[in-house]
Amino acid sequence: MERRNFLGFGLLSLVGLTSLNLSAEDYRKTKPDVWTAHTNEDAITKLFGTNVTINEGVILTVESVAVNGANIPIDFQSSIPAKSVALFQSANPESAVCAFTLNENTILDYSLRIKMKQNGIIMVVVEGLDGKLYSASKSIIVSKGGCEG
Amino acid sequence: MEIKAKIKDGITTVKAMAKHPMLTYDTAKKQGVEANFITHINATVNDKVVLDMSTSQFLSKNPIFKFSFKGAAAGDKIIMSWVDLSGATETSESVIK
Repeated sequence: MERRNFLGFGLLSLVGLTSLNLSAEDYRKTKPDVWTAHTNEDAITKLFGTNVTINEGVILTVESVAVNGANIPIDFQSSIPAKSVALFQSANPESAVCAFTLNENTILDYSLRIKMKQNGIIMVVVEGLDGKLYSASKSIIVSKGGCEG
Repeated sequence: MEIKAKIKDGITTVKAMAKHPMLTYDTAKKQGVEANFITHINATVNDKVVLDMSTSQFLSKNPIFKFSFKGAAAGDKIIMSWVDLSGATETSESVIK
């Protein structure tokens, strides 16, 4: 009798676990307009509902002159309790580069490499749990445009 | 996908590289092929989502990226997968050291 109850409990907790995966969000599907917006301001508004941001609390590290436009290393981090963060740039045909959803286990500290066709402004926007947007931006020069791969 | 995951003081740092041409619409048109790039990458440890990233054509080719999270332990398995514009997916896993 006890064993049967124990098995039943095990099944219930499995169901709980699978529903946790629904916390992941694929913004390509849920917010397709973000990815076709041309300017940083437009893309930020399409993703977060507004483009009003507070310019503090976010650290964005990128070289001011990108030697190879096809491979520009970008680091960004923030200790603001946040639910999502996204990266934008103004040099390519569309502005949005990537968007992350965060949870209680993730740490807002990402490094990645992007390509930019020409000089532009890179912007990181963090959506805090308080509903406000925090940002950091940096203008960079691309000596060799990099969308050709 | 290559995954290197290390844990120190409760924080796991992962360096990952996906093999993908990340072909932009512009370049694809010039080459006369369909654009194709990774659109979403995620990572889970013990069924908890630790990375949830929607991406565009503007990540570099063979994208390398680094991310961190807490709540895991050495020996835990990390599973990462991506899906691209054409619908193809790839899943890889590794162990946190």
